[in-house]
This record gives sequence, structure tokens and C-alpha cells, in this order.
Amino acid sequence: MTARYGRVFFMSACLVFLLSSFFSSPVWAGELIDKVKETTDKIIAIVSNPEMKKAEKAAERKRLIREAIDERFDWDEMAKRTLARHWAGRSDAEKKEFVALFGKLLERTYLDKVEGYSGEKVNYEDETIDGQYGTVKVGIITTQDKSISVFYRLKKIGSDWFVYDISIEGVSLINNYRNQFNSIITKSSFQNLMERLKSNVEEGK
Amino acid sequence: MLKRVNKSPFTAVAGSEKPSVIACMNRNPALAWMFLWCLSAALMLGFLPRMAMAGSLSSYDLALADAQSKQEPEEDYYEDEMIEDVSDPLEPFNRAMFVFNDKLYFWVLKPVARVYNEILPEPLRLSFKNFFLNLLTPVRAVNCLLQGKPDAFATELGRFVINTTMGVYGFGDAASVCFDIRRKDEDLGQTLGVYGAGPGVYICWPVFGPSNIRDTIGMVGDGFLNPLYFWPQESAYRIGISGFKVVNGTSLELGEYESIKKAAIDPYVAVRDGYQQYRKNKIKE
Repeated sequence: MTARYGRVFFMSACLVFLLSSFFSSPVWAGELIDKVKETTDKIIAIVSNPEMKKAEKAAERKRLIREAIDERFDWDEMAKRTLARHWAGRSDAEKKEFVALFGKLLERTYLDKVEGYSGEKVNYEDETIDGQYGTVKVGIITTQDKSISVFYRLKKIGSDWFVYDISIEGVSLINNYRNQFNSIITKSSFQNLMERLKSNVEEGK
Repeated sequence: MLKRVNKSPFTAVAGSEKPSVIACMNRNPALAWMFLWCLSAALMLGFLPRMAMAGSLSSYDLALADAQSKQEPEEDYYEDEMIEDVSDPLEPFNRAMFVFNDKLYFWVLKPVARVYNEILPEPLRLSFKNFFLNLLTPVRAVNCLLQGKPDAFATELGRFVINTTMGVYGFGDAASVCFDIRRKDEDLGQTLGVYGAGPGVYICWPVFGPSNIRDTIGMVGDGFLNPLYFWPQESAYRIGISGFKVVNGTSLELGEYESIKKAAIDPYVAVRDGYQQYRKNKIKE
């Protein structure tokens, strides 16, 4: 008696599964995925190394993660894109100072995120290349079994690819900062933005 | 092997009589028929709006595709204007409500959720969350239909059947864990968006948080499909259950708002823009 309904159940589950999997994409491997995966694996190796979790290693751990991120992230490009139309009007000194500060803010934000790593699964789902721009689609399964979709946007410089934007569940980091910065600059001034950036970076240390 | 009269539609497919793990859940052939019937109904109902849309919305689709193709070569786009077009005439009110919600979180919700966090282990809190999500299946399923997504509707229906039985009244998300069938987050706000409704004025509601005209209408409409709207009758119980749901949900997301706030230079604009981007992406999906 029980076996029959077990099978009914299994069959119906299979049917639903088939219906839902028509639109899911196959697993990919490619040039861009390799680049993103290399950096991610490096960071995961550092944060999940028990030796590195000791209190006296905290500074070294931070330095190692920072190095791994710096290799793959293009802070210059990110800074330009967030200032958008306000970029051109800045002096060279202002540009330099802004790139340095904004880079620090992003680095810290990313560092905070990866330091909280607790065994989330990372699936590399897809990559697309369009000229000198490319996208890598990643699915993260959290420890609460929630799935989060992440897009890395990369730009080709020379023969290598660098990340210039990350979007999480459709929210682009660069768009988000661009709108914040535009709102501050148009309501007060670029100087005010720099002051607020500085105090945020100082506070977050 | 025993021979018996069999009314289940799946008997022809099912071969030997080996016992299985899923087996003990159901002893009623009506379930199998109901499931088949629902599936075919889903397929037919789901296709109707899609066929209706084919005629009337084709020019809209073309315009959409056109806009997307124009966006693509984004070379040096930081020189151009790529600034948000969020309509926010209520900004002074919204900012006040943002501060109110911020205080509500740090002074009331977070301390309560932290105590609650200490008392109940995470798996139990997760299972409460699953239970509430399972109860909201009607909201998601109906909106899948309204958007002309028969496959998503079937997924929601299948998830409800699996989670209510195998998942024991929805406390376990068996559909995700055993079959990797994931929830389809559809709501009326998204449905209106699919049919071309813009977001309208941005509103930050006290308690409910970021929204806009379209999503507020959607939230009210979806409320009629929420089982809590029908039961229990006493509003005190309803508020109690809703409060418990909020505390339980918050206990699983402690620290998320804090990290958004820490990374932001203007948290109000960060949340406003984040909300709009998130909803835009949900509608596109």
C-alpha cells in the first residue's frame, strides 16, 4: 500500500522538478569564471584556515585578504563610475584623493562581508563576454539554505580581467553609491561628500 | 506481489512495489488525481494570460528589447548621466519615517529579537519562518498565474504539497532540501510592474519600511490572500501572530541592516536606491 503512494509522490515531485528546471541554466566553466573563482577560492582558503583565526594573526589575515581582493578589483574604474558626470570636473588631486578613500571604503565593506564567511556554498553558473566587458553569474547558498544571486561585472584591461561592479540580488553596488554621491553633491558639495567619506572610513577602522 | 484494484493515475508508470522513504506520507489516491488535475489546470490557466498578452503587449515588448539593446555598449558611460530617476517628492516625510524605523529597530525590535535569539535555536526559528512562508503560497501562486508563468505556478503548487506533507505542515522546506525546488517570490506589486505599471512616488512607511505607490497597492491586494486575513477573527491574535512573525524574521537577519548602514555614506538614499533596484530586478525576472 505505502509503496504505491511513495512512487506517486516521487513521480509528482519529478514532474514539478522537470517543469521548474526547463528554465535553469547549465553549469559553466570559462575564462571569466576561472578568474573570479581563483580570487574567491583564495579568500575562502584564508578565512577558513583555522591557523589564521587566532587573535594574533588578525592583522596578517586582513593583509592577505586585502592582497587577494586588490589583484582582481579595479578601484579606479569603480571610483570613476560612481562619480559619473561629477568625475570630469574634478582636479587631479581631488580625483586621486577620492579614489584612495572610496577604495578604502569598498575594501572594508568587502572585508566585513568575507570575514563573516561560515561555509556558504558558491556555485558558478554562467559567464558572458561582450567585447571588453564581461559578466559572471554566481549563486551563493547560505547556511540558512537561502539562495542569493550575485553578478560580477568585469572589464578587460590589457590581457587580464578586473571586477568593476558587484550586484547582489539585482542591486548594483556602483549604482547604489553613484546615487548616494549624486544626491550629496547636488544638495551640498563635493567637499561635503569627501568629509563624509573620510569620517565613515575613520569610524569603520 | 499482491494484486489489487488501483485508482491512482500513476500506477501505470510505477513498476515494482518496493517500499520507499517518501511512501508513508499519503494513503489516498485522490491526492494523486488532485495533483494531476491541478497541474493541468495550472498549465491551461497559465497560458491564457500569456496568449492574451501576445497581441496587446507586443509593441511594449519590442520597446523593452530595444531599450535593452541600446544600453549595451556601455563604454565610458561614467561620462554620461546615469543617475536615478526615483520620484521622491515626499523626501522630508520619508526621511523622518526612515529615522523612526531606524530607532524602532535599534531600540525595540533588535533587543527583543536578540533575547528571542538566545532562547530558541536557529533550526527552530528557521522552521517557523518556513511555516509562515508556506502559508503565503496563495499570494505567490496567484501572482504567478496573473503574470502568465505556468511553470512557476506549478512549482509553487508542488512546493505547497511537498512541504505541507513531507515538510510536516510547512515547518520544513523539504522541496528545497530534497528536490532543490526553490520558492518563486511573486507578489502583486511585481504583477502590476509586469503589466507596465511604473513604481510611482517612493514612500517609506513607518513600521513597513521602503515601498512605492505600486508596491503599496500590491501589498494591500496581497493582504486579501493572506490566511491571517481570514483567521483568527480576533484582531488581537492577528497582531500577536504578525508580531511574532516579524520578531522571528528579524532574529534570522540580525546584522544585515547594520552592515548596509555601515557601508553607506547616506543610508536613506542607499536604502531608497537599493529598494528600487531590487524591485526592478524582481519584475524583470
